[in-house]
Amino acid sequence: MEKDPVCGMKIERNSSFATREHRGQAYYFCSEDCVKQFDANPDQYALVLSQPATSATTGFNPDSTVLQVELPILGLAKEGLPGGVLIRSALEKLHGVERVVMNAKAGITVVNYDPETIKILDIVAAIKKTGYQVGGAQKRIGIENIRCASCVGSIEDELKTTPGVLNASISLGTQEATVDYLPEQTTLNELNTAIESWGYKTRPASSEESVDQQQAAHEKEYQRLMRKFWFAALVSIPVLITAYPKFIPIVKDWSMETLRITWFGAALLTLPVLFWSGSDFFTGAWAALKHRAANMNTLIALGTGAAWLYSIVAIVFPGIFPEGTSEPFFDVVAVVIALVVLGQALEIRAKGRTSEAIKKLMGLQPKTARVIRNDVEMDIPVEEVLVGDVVQVRPGEKVPVDGVILEGSSAVDESMLTGESLPASKKVGDEVIGATFNKTGAFKFRTTKVGKDTALAQIVKMVQDAQNSKAPIARLADTISGYFVPIVMILAVLTFVVWFDFGPQPQLVYGLVTAVSVLIIACPCALGLATPMSLMVGIGKGAENGILIRSGEALQTAQSIKIVVLDKTGTITKGKPELTDVIVAVQQSILSDELLRLAASVETVSEHPLAEAIVEGGKTKGLALGKPEAFEAIPGHGVTATVDGRKVALGNLKMMKRLNVDLGNLEAKSEILANDGKTPMFIAVNGKAAGIIAVADTVKEDSKEAIAALHQMGIEVVMITGDNRRTAEAIARQVGLDRVLAEVLPEDKAHNVHLLQAEGKKVAMVGDGINDAPALAQADVGLAIGTGTDVAIEASDITLIKGSLKGVVTAIEVSRATMRNIKQNLVGAFVYNTLGVPIAMGVLFPFFGLLLSPLLAGAAMAFSSVTVISNANRLRGFRPKFSAK
Amino acid sequence: MTLIQIFITLGGIALSLFIAWFFWLAPKGQTRINSGAGGVQEVAITVKGGYTPDIIVVKAGQPLRMRFTRHESSTCSEMVLFPDFNQSAKLPEGQEVLVEFTPKKPGEYGFQCQMGMLRGKLIVE
Repeated sequence: MEKDPVCGMKIERNSSFATREHRGQAYYFCSEDCVKQFDANPDQYALVLSQPATSATTGFNPDSTVLQVELPILGLAKEGLPGGVLIRSALEKLHGVERVVMNAKAGITVVNYDPETIKILDIVAAIKKTGYQVGGAQKRIGIENIRCASCVGSIEDELKTTPGVLNASISLGTQEATVDYLPEQTTLNELNTAIESWGYKTRPASSEESVDQQQAAHEKEYQRLMRKFWFAALVSIPVLITAYPKFIPIVKDWSMETLRITWFGAALLTLPVLFWSGSDFFTGAWAALKHRAANMNTLIALGTGAAWLYSIVAIVFPGIFPEGTSEPFFDVVAVVIALVVLGQALEIRAKGRTSEAIKKLMGLQPKTARVIRNDVEMDIPVEEVLVGDVVQVRPGEKVPVDGVILEGSSAVDESMLTGESLPASKKVGDEVIGATFNKTGAFKFRTTKVGKDTALAQIVKMVQDAQNSKAPIARLADTISGYFVPIVMILAVLTFVVWFDFGPQPQLVYGLVTAVSVLIIACPCALGLATPMSLMVGIGKGAENGILIRSGEALQTAQSIKIVVLDKTGTITKGKPELTDVIVAVQQSILSDELLRLAASVETVSEHPLAEAIVEGGKTKGLALGKPEAFEAIPGHGVTATVDGRKVALGNLKMMKRLNVDLGNLEAKSEILANDGKTPMFIAVNGKAAGIIAVADTVKEDSKEAIAALHQMGIEVVMITGDNRRTAEAIARQVGLDRVLAEVLPEDKAHNVHLLQAEGKKVAMVGDGINDAPALAQADVGLAIGTGTDVAIEASDITLIKGSLKGVVTAIEVSRATMRNIKQNLVGAFVYNTLGVPIAMGVLFPFFGLLLSPLLAGAAMAFSSVTVISNANRLRGFRPKFSAK
Repeated sequence: MTLIQIFITLGGIALSLFIAWFFWLAPKGQTRINSGAGGVQEVAITVKGGYTPDIIVVKAGQPLRMRFTRHESSTCSEMVLFPDFNQSAKLPEGQEVLVEFTPKKPGEYGFQCQMGMLRGKLIVE
């Protein structure tokens, strides 16, 4: 077997594609590609072959046969899961595994294994079979010029044998390797070395590069255009002087002969303007022509080219033109190119501002993180933070990436992502989101998502995708701009003909000037830019306010929403029952806190959500809960237990009847509570009625305000719920709703949305992304309420990161403002072109003697697209009714 | 009307007709993509003042991989959009960028730069 020095593939000598001899050594190749690469630079590859084949496997002591690996297991830290035992018994069965230690608290398992008999990949596979996932870091590494398919396998194998690597795959298409690995076991550096040992150079993966690169490219392009502009502008000055000699002192006294000489000078000066400053127009026009297409470049190139050619002929052969028409237009060439190039440069600047929202979002992420590895705290760049790392966050610092708190607690300001102004309190086990601001306490957290997977990165990606999507309103503009340029060219030709045939003397000059003006003033760019620029700003504006709009289409539809359907549970209400009332029976001498304490103590062992609400209610009041004894649950009735020697029964009316408890006026009181949409439960102590405890799913604080705002916008609000009519109507009364659809089965929600649509109105559905997915999809616009890191909700058109209904109001406001802006832009661009082109053709000339100079046409064209972008930028000043800040 | 004017008039009309024919009526060259290994239809597209090739014929239901390489710094072409497929990609100058999706329904779908100056067409059969 021989090794191909280029790709590293093992091949038989006699089956090799080709052989080469270099410095006395024979080389065998697997493919034509490899031979070509070798021939180009044999020394580079000859060197590779002489190196040992497995040089990259550093990092372990060859003397010790047993290795230890620490594998982070996702979800292991959650209580009540049998993972630890399962994984341990699965691993201990494996041949080659010497010892397994589980650490459920830290969510890791430590495995000692013999690398001779078992590979880490097999251990990982065994864990996966138990239903758990091994957490590791995933990194994409770019590989330069990897072309031959056979190298892929070799490098993949090399990576897989590197200790700490869980999986590796290489895509030839992206020229990138995707490696899952354990940050404790290996470093990015070692992975790079493994790839480089095969003779390839590594680079940062292009898919992980940030917006900054684009910004740099924009800056470079701006500089390039400005250089071209300044050159054209400087040339324009002398050229203008020679073009309008009668307005300039001294020059006006020059003789015709002197002028003619300066015209030759102008011809020479404008040549580099044409072919350097204006080179983009000509190359662009030529490229388009090859595709039988025409665009703005075609128009400018034709206009300036025609002006220059005519001028040359006019000064070289003045005799062939009628008297007085042999004057050149070199000024048109220089000035128009200068203006249009300047317009393009300004466009880049203005465009940069349209994506400001994205930059703001990206800028939220801190640059460094304080990571604890092997008990050592170190500040490292945030890009190098890995899944499974423990990160320390102090008060006043930003959370670098997403994770779960291991130790400590704090209040975290998440307003930058969610728009929620109150800081969220966080304790052990709670999720923290990258880029949020830690206010009060210090804590440590284990990272769960880094790089492209963080909530912030996903938000950025979603917003970017949406910004580049299309709004249906743009389709008309697109269709028009597809035909626009050839039409303008035809109009220019006809203009020339009409002026030449019917215009005043000198006809040739008039015909040419008007034709050139027509070519130059027409601006297809303004049409093309009208929608995307406003979308960019509008969708960015939404993101700033915690509203993620999926596409231009969603944005456009949202403006015409007439009915908003709100899911009750979790949308209008908090979605979690809370303790609302404690009523003590009159004849009892027990205190309400004591009553609650007894009830909560009984419920500590129950798992019912209502029970949890009571326990939680007792805890928030700071009551010391007792231990229930002889606990018994009677399904459909309630529970009984003995607390501190007292026999406590908690349950519904049936329960009390079963125990023969006399309720007195409590029954009437419970009726009132039930009418308010609450769930009352009777308590009996030692066989006597003691009181009522009521829990209810309470309404979110701002639901009422948001619904009132929607009403004000002329939108009908409908509540949809599976709950009974009584509860539903109680909630509806609280928030001031017009219409309630109660007792709707979950699977019928979509059908109900459809019925509302049948009324001929655009319907928006607001709900959570999981249970309401079909209804969200059925609605014209589906708005999903997402919280925390769960932001990229597939079924929705719009995601409200903040849990509040105010987001619905803001979403509609953003949509209306953006669509208004788009319409202004489109109307502006249409009006500009439909007025500008006829004026340039000279329709005003017969009536007012007014004719547009090509110089003015150039200025108008250059600034029309800047105007469109500037108008889009006005949207940046949009302030929603319920401001996030 | 002088002879020159008649000449110019006829010439102008002829030129107008030629423009209409050249840009709209003449059949354009199509590039047919055959699927390679693994059933992936792959095509390399150069972006410079236009998309080369710009009319691409592919088969429905087979994954399509387009490798875009932009050879110009003009910001017009810095993004390529496939609005019908909700796909877009940034095209850094000189760097190959992949756009991958599977066209499901036969039909004609346009692709273009952000402001619609450069256009191409994907014909799905």
